[in-house]
Formats: sequence, structure tokens, C-alpha cells
Amino acid sequence: MTKIRKEGEIEYRFEPPDDFRAFVRDRKSRKAEPKLCSAKEAVSAFVADGDYLVYDFSSLTRGPQSLIREVIRQRKKDLWVGAEFTLHESALLTGAGCATRIDVGFLGYGSYIGQAVCEGRVRVYEWTNGGLALRMLAGARGVPFLPTRDLLGSDNMGVSAAKVIADPYTGLPVAVVPALNPDVAFIHVHQADVFGDARIFGTNLFALEAAMASHRVILSAEEIVDPEEFRKDPMRTTIPFFLVDAVVHAPFGAYPGAMPARYEIDLAHVDRLNGIRSEDQMQKYLHETVYSVADHEEFLDQQVGARRMRELRARATIIEGYR
Amino acid sequence: MPRTVEFTDTEFMIAQGARLLEDGKTFFVGWGIPQVVAILGQKLYVPDVIQLFEFGAIGPQSVLPFVRGTMGGPQNTFRSLQWLNMNWAFAYSASGYMDFGMLGALQVDPYGNINSTFLGGTYERPERRFAGSGGGNQVASHCWKTIIVIKHEGRRFVPKVEFLTSPGYLTGPGAREKAGLPAGTGPYRVVTSKALFGFDEETKRMTLLAVLRGLDPDDVVKDMGFRPLMAKEIDEIHPPTDEELRLLREEIDPSRFLIAGEPMSAVI
Repeated sequence: MTKIRKEGEIEYRFEPPDDFRAFVRDRKSRKAEPKLCSAKEAVSAFVADGDYLVYDFSSLTRGPQSLIREVIRQRKKDLWVGAEFTLHESALLTGAGCATRIDVGFLGYGSYIGQAVCEGRVRVYEWTNGGLALRMLAGARGVPFLPTRDLLGSDNMGVSAAKVIADPYTGLPVAVVPALNPDVAFIHVHQADVFGDARIFGTNLFALEAAMASHRVILSAEEIVDPEEFRKDPMRTTIPFFLVDAVVHAPFGAYPGAMPARYEIDLAHVDRLNGIRSEDQMQKYLHETVYSVADHEEFLDQQVGARRMRELRARATIIEGYR
Repeated sequence: MPRTVEFTDTEFMIAQGARLLEDGKTFFVGWGIPQVVAILGQKLYVPDVIQLFEFGAIGPQSVLPFVRGTMGGPQNTFRSLQWLNMNWAFAYSASGYMDFGMLGALQVDPYGNINSTFLGGTYERPERRFAGSGGGNQVASHCWKTIIVIKHEGRRFVPKVEFLTSPGYLTGPGAREKAGLPAGTGPYRVVTSKALFGFDEETKRMTLLAVLRGLDPDDVVKDMGFRPLMAKEIDEIHPPTDEELRLLREEIDPSRFLIAGEPMSAVI
């Protein structure tokens, strides 16, 4: 399986569609089996050093933050992150020594990650938000690439593996981006059943595309619901179970970000993250919030507390549309 | 009686941006200042503008006050017409449905090309690294009219951007089309903390259209890293109105997170 291609200077993750199809045929179980497990079990079973990781949405909104912290806790190495909204995840994964390459996206924010790029501690490739979303769609759609009429004329072309080709129908120039089939996708959802059927309320980046395009899919869910719920209301299913490898029950899994209609963002904590500038500050933060606690539950108990969680829940007053 | 109005450079840029929108049109809203422009515009001038966010909110009517740190959350996806995802959001712009887009910039050149990626050094080892494109490249590539918002500092206006993150008119007339970008699109206005620029139809070069009341056009352009064209008549831009400032400060951003900036004043 060709996972990384190098042409000229630019390396990019790519897998021929037939290889991914064979993986889906041979390795993705279609059986409805209970997949509920702990974050520790899920990350240790399904994330390996050197993996390509994507997630949906971001550290501010419905991001799989508890899973990201578990990756850091398990000190995974040499990850390549496909980061549409690279907000605090990239800084934390880089600061923890887990990530060495990032496909962006939007590289933000706080000064830590910018500094890490300047110092060459992490490599960044510039696919843009639209380009990454399209790569994910190509990966999900089983095609080797997809064309688009942006990126053209910009310097992003030189620091990604996007190419300009002649449109075979008109001969006019068009940009193409290669399919992306990540090793693992993390998706935080409002509701899931034990088999992996899942619902997201509100908008998303590329939740279904990522789930279909990735070799392994780990869901973290605010709430575990009865499987019958999905059969009764299929319009609301975001992801069907047979795409999913593990389901982690993770209330407040998006913390310190917001979970739409469930709890609001903890701005004080986010400010603390934004304030991280030095290596000392980063290691101190990681020690306090990740290494010194056994798991997400202990983190919530010791670092957030029931009272704060109640406040954040109470602030989530806008529920119209989220059901 | 003349009186002095006090405001921040950011408030002035937001007010200018809001006045540029057209009612009944679509507006691709980027994160940060464009969000506030959209809210102020919709409240005061263009009630039927349709906002669209790259994270899949189609036609939302943002909840006030603006809460920092929210992106794709209930505040800026409230009462949308439709909730989708990023591939569909960019489908709306790529298929020609987005009339206006608005983007910030670190640097801009005479053709409206935008750098938002890095300053100094090389791409691999920059001196200062910033967010990069995000969805900005798509907005600048697809929208019919892109509005650039940039603080009026001479060093931000450069003959050539260090990194071309989002396309303006590239190297001049016809260059966008030759590159394969959608025909008839491109930068429309550059809103700064002192002035308003457009682009000359023939040469596609940035052209000074108006300056804030009380400023001298020659002073406004003298620090810029390139000499813009000058419109035959340079208009005067009214400073933020009482109503614009009241809405911004009391209803939209009472925590002054987004509207903070350098103090400015003008006599009206």
C-alpha cells in the first residue's frame, strides 16, 4: 500500500482507490457488534505511530478533544494531521511531540503553533480548507482525484501537491487535488448507539466524508442512545454503524470547546490555551490537563468540576434546530 | 455645530464594509471582522442579505451579542435556511451563487492579491507564521466581488506579496481567466482604516476612491509600498455614524472583543 508519495519536494498522503476498496472489503466489518469502549482502549487499538489523523469539527466547536488528549496521553509519535480547522489541536499535538506534519486548512491559533512552524518543528502543507474538504470527498467517493476552480494562480499550489491539468473536455486549466484516505478519523457526535450509528446536530466540516474515507473511525459521543432511534428517524443519521470501529461515551468530550445546544465554550480555559507561548508553558499545560490525569473522567472531575460543567450547560440556551 | 466623533480603526472598517453590501444579495462571511460586518449590515442597511459560512451555515441570522470563540456554533448558525457542510458551502460559491466575499489580509499588492500565510524568511522557515488560507482562497477565487479588509499601514501594501494565499487579479488583466479561475470574478473593494480603494477596469490596479473625512488623499497614499491609481474625484467617507457605533458597542460586541483598535477621530 503506497501511503506517502513524493514528487519533487512535496510529499502527500495518497492511497490508490483499489487499495482502499480492498481494505474496506477485507477489514471493515459489516456486523452490528457492540463497539463501546474506553478512549484508552480505542486509541490504543486504532491509532498507531505514523498514522494520518483527521477530525471533525474544531477545538472551539464539537471537536473530539477528549480523544485528542488521549492520543497525547499515549504519546503517539509522528502523526500527520489533516486539519481543516487546526486550532488548539495542532498546538497541543505538536507541543506533545505527537504530530510532525500538518495539512491545513487554517493554522491557528495562539502563537505557539506559529512559532513551532518557524522553528521547523512541524511541517505544514497548504491545501486550503476547500482543498482538504475536496480531498476527503474524493477519498469517500473512491476516485483518485477531484478537480476544482480555486487554488489556481496561488502559491498554495507550490506547497501542496495540488496540480494544474488541462480539462480533458475543454482544454482549459483546472486544479486537481488527490484523494485522501486517512488512517483514522475522530468524530465527536451528539448521539451514538453502541454499534456506531451516529447523529450530529448542526453543521459539520466533512463528518460523513471523513468517516467513509478513513480506514478506522473512532466516535466519541455525548450520549448513547437506543439503536431503534436511528431506524425510526433515518433522516437524522449522520453516520451509519458499519463505517465505525469504536464508540466512546464522552460527555463533555468537546471541552473546552462548545457542543452545540449542549454546553458552551469555556472561554477562560480557551484563553489559557491561547496564552501558551513557551515550551515551559506548553509542558505545564500538558502535564496538568493530560499526563497527570488517568482519563477524561478524571480530567473533568479534577480540572473542570461539576459546578463549571453545570454553568456551561446552562449557557447553552439556543436549542432551536438542534434535535 | 461641528463635533468630533471618536471611534476605533476597526469600527471604521466594519462600518465601511457594512455600507458596501447590497440588499438581496449573498455574502460569504469569513471569521472575525466579516462576521460583524454582516451583522451590522443586516441590521442597518441590507435586511435581506443572505449570509453563508464555510462550515455549512446557509442564511443564518446571527444571535447578538457576538460571542468570541464561536464558529459553527449556535450563535452564528442560528435560524439558518439550511445546515450543511464544507463541500456544500463551497459548492454554493463555486457555482456562482455568492455575490460578495470578504477577507482580511496581512499584505495586499496592487492587483489585490492577498498574503495571509507568512511574513519574512521562506515558506518552510518563515519569520512569522499566520493562519494561511483557511477558506480564503476559495472565497477569493469563487465570489463575484471580493472585499478585502486591511489596516492602513504602509508596510501592508506591497508591490508583490511574499506569498500569494488568495488570488486578486494576479499579474493583471486576463490573468485570472488564463489561470483557470472563474471568469468575471475578482477583488472589488479594499477597505482600510483610512480609505476605500477599487480596481481600475482596464489595468486591474488598485485605485483610491475615497478617504475618511478630514484626511488628505496624498497623505493617505504616501506611505504605501506602491503608488495606487487615483480616481478622478476622491470621495469623502463619512466616519462611523452614531447609529453604527451604538449598534456595534451596545448590541453587537459589548465586550469590545472584535471592535477594539487604535483610537481615531473625525470632525463632522
